[in-house]
Amino acid sequence: MTTLPFASFTGAFEFIFAPQDSNVTGGNQVGGFEKSLELVLKHLEVTVIALAIALIVALPLGLYLGHRGRGELFAVGIGTAGRAIPELAVIALVAVLIGVGLKTVAPALAILGLAPILVNTYVGVRQVDSATVEAARGMGMSELDIMRKVELPLAIPTVMGGVRGAAIVIVATATIAPLAGVETLGDFIINRNVYGENGLLAGAILVALLALTLEGSLALLQRRLTSDGLKLKTV
Amino acid sequence: MPSGESDAQSQPGASSVRYEETTKQYPGASAPAVDELTLEVPAGEICVLVGPSGCGKTTAMRMVNRTVEITSGDVLIGDHSVRDREPAQLRREIGYVIQQIGLFPHRTITENIGAVPQLLGWDKQRIRERSAELLELIGLDPELGDRYPAQLSGGQQQRVGVARALAADPLVMLMDEPFGAIDPINRERLQNEFLRLQAEIRKTVLFVTHDIDEAIKMGDRIAVMREGGRVEQYATPAELLMAPANEFVEDFVGADRALKRLALMRVGDINLWEAPLAYVGQATAEVRKKLAAPDVEIPYPLLVDSERRPLGWLSERDLGADTVPQRPDSPLGPVLERDDVMRDALADLLQGESQYAPVVDHEGRITGVLSVEIISEFLASPEAKSDEHPAVERPHG
Amino acid sequence: MASPLLLTAAAEVGGDFFRERSSGTLPCQAQSSHLFCWDWAKENIDRYGTPTVQHLEIVLLSVVIGFVVAFGLALFAHRRRQLQPPLLAATGILYTIPSIAFFFLLLPITGFGRDTAIIVLAAYTLQIIYRNTILGLANVPASVKDAARGMGLTNRQILWQVELPLAIPEIIAGLRVAVVSTIAIATLVVFINAGGLGTQIYGSGNLTFPTSIVIAMAIVMGMALLFDLVLLTLQRLTTPWRRVRQA
Repeated sequence: MTTLPFASFTGAFEFIFAPQDSNVTGGNQVGGFEKSLELVLKHLEVTVIALAIALIVALPLGLYLGHRGRGELFAVGIGTAGRAIPELAVIALVAVLIGVGLKTVAPALAILGLAPILVNTYVGVRQVDSATVEAARGMGMSELDIMRKVELPLAIPTVMGGVRGAAIVIVATATIAPLAGVETLGDFIINRNVYGENGLLAGAILVALLALTLEGSLALLQRRLTSDGLKLKTV
Repeated sequence: MPSGESDAQSQPGASSVRYEETTKQYPGASAPAVDELTLEVPAGEICVLVGPSGCGKTTAMRMVNRTVEITSGDVLIGDHSVRDREPAQLRREIGYVIQQIGLFPHRTITENIGAVPQLLGWDKQRIRERSAELLELIGLDPELGDRYPAQLSGGQQQRVGVARALAADPLVMLMDEPFGAIDPINRERLQNEFLRLQAEIRKTVLFVTHDIDEAIKMGDRIAVMREGGRVEQYATPAELLMAPANEFVEDFVGADRALKRLALMRVGDINLWEAPLAYVGQATAEVRKKLAAPDVEIPYPLLVDSERRPLGWLSERDLGADTVPQRPDSPLGPVLERDDVMRDALADLLQGESQYAPVVDHEGRITGVLSVEIISEFLASPEAKSDEHPAVERPHG
Repeated sequence: MASPLLLTAAAEVGGDFFRERSSGTLPCQAQSSHLFCWDWAKENIDRYGTPTVQHLEIVLLSVVIGFVVAFGLALFAHRRRQLQPPLLAATGILYTIPSIAFFFLLLPITGFGRDTAIIVLAAYTLQIIYRNTILGLANVPASVKDAARGMGLTNRQILWQVELPLAIPEIIAGLRVAVVSTIAIATLVVFINAGGLGTQIYGSGNLTFPTSIVIAMAIVMGMALLFDLVLLTLQRLTTPWRRVRQA
């Protein structure tokens, strides 16, 4: 166990807010508020794009499968398999086989986020009281309407749980996206020779804060989207 | 202390239960849930606590095993206050049966029954024997002992619940709407079986229900309660029906008191009519002769087998042949036993197609015939009005 | 924009590095080579031995520690309802922070190496195990608890003889998720010099090559699946009452 004498939290905070001298790039300054903000936004950008792709693919599929009650084994299998995928390997394969850059990395991140959204949407829809669905059907609602206006709203808490899970994985993997040519906060961490130990710590702090903020926002969004009637139910 | 003897019949394994100004006051409530209840339940009797929802009957029952703690006053079992013991210790000597049954899903039936004996430290062999004995006592196939509760029907589960409560031979049994979650058909069966069981083992039972009919059927004594656990009348079922103490009791018992009294009678208590019997293969001419006899009460012959067990009613068409046919034209309809409660018998008669129902003994042999007419004749007779008619008292044993 | 420059520079250096060491299987080890070379795989399969063992050690230690802590917390909070939301939130925070960031947050305190890895991975498992244990205990039917109490079981007896056995399916479900996730995430401990199969994907500061990555990925996912099945079997074995047909 080797502790680094150079890294400290105060040093890290300094790094975030003011440019520092760097060892490697020959006198150029690194860090500072502008740079930090830039990377935060880039990190957020790739996260949001990947999350959106994952949602567009997994949400309708999960909704449909859950509505029809088919593919339970498939959903469960995808769930476990999704969790078992090592993110590092995905990023690495994209980098060495397919190509670097946002165009290849975003879909790769999206794949990692597919599983939580798919499984949770499926489970959420299946847990909707069949009596409610039957009543809706009896009233004359089309199947599509039922999915959109009955099942989805009632499944929101579980579905949002899946979205939040996907967000966590995607934010985490975006941290190592620099390995595949996409600049994010992970830059500070992976290229520590350039940014120094303080930069390293700064990157870690910023990633953690970003992840927590995103999670918090999604939690609030979940609150907003959950109908008041549902909120009355005990956990 | 529990007797532990495997012979469930003769041991006096029962204690009286006495409430002495027992009160339960929940903090923040405007009035006590149970207000200075004073009541004595003699050993070996079933005392039913009955009343509208929220009157405190369940709370009162639960103070006996301290699943609800007593605020003031006391409850004594035998001569010992329930407050003298640790609650867990106390409860192991009290049988506890609840409405939703609550069998342990993860244990077999045998293990469920043996739960309290295990807590008391009985050895495995003894527990197994006791479980088998109890399974038989409650009328279940001993093979079911290795099954899990999910594999049993609701009625079977509750029987196991009762067996579980009896396992350690408790001094007192607490039963909180035990048959409430069972369908009406099985509920009646379970009630009858429990009464039969009680006749053998004679435990002191505190039985809570909101159903006055169940109370009348099951109770040796009934306490009609209103809010605050206040006892409006504490009496035998007959007294309750014939002399309700006040308007509340009268309303609660219901306007159909006369009909309810039928619940106290058994079929065997009144004089039944006789039907002319016909045996398979007998010459129909003989049967006709019987029918023509002057004192015949029932104009239809009853087909019976060689053991005098009823098979069906014979019609004119049946009698057209030379000998009595094997299969009768009309089906048997409900068959009653002498021990059946009169009210249930009346219900069966009214529902059946035939106006007569054969009454058999324990071996299934014919002992007489009952009809609606017989019942109403009896109710109108002077005998029914007297208090001492054996049909109006509850027969024991 | 230092990264892409460094990346290509690293690739060239890496390529040379491997070129010198290889025994003629050149195309296999270049970064843009095709997906999988069986030959290289067969020859070099033993180099995965140590990383796999390291990987497993870290995973098992983390999961065991995480389980003990989370299970203990759940038992503690079981009858103390007010504690449950804050504990859920606290374990949630530990779950939300990306592991790789978490590794480096601990840097000033525990530095590089296995200890940091284990602390972070264990913290990651806390929420799922805690939440599932609480949920499993809460799902025990009230009537069963009422009957148990009325029969004379003490609170402790009710917990260990009734509530926990009935909560096993949920608890093991949480454990399965925890184990599978931890096996995957443990690939990242390479970044703090704690070894593991991540070394075959990103060894000594460079990405390796497709075959190596694929093998490492296959081993990780294979282990995860294996443990998942083992735990599922364990759950089935310990809950015989759930396998019977209902009346």
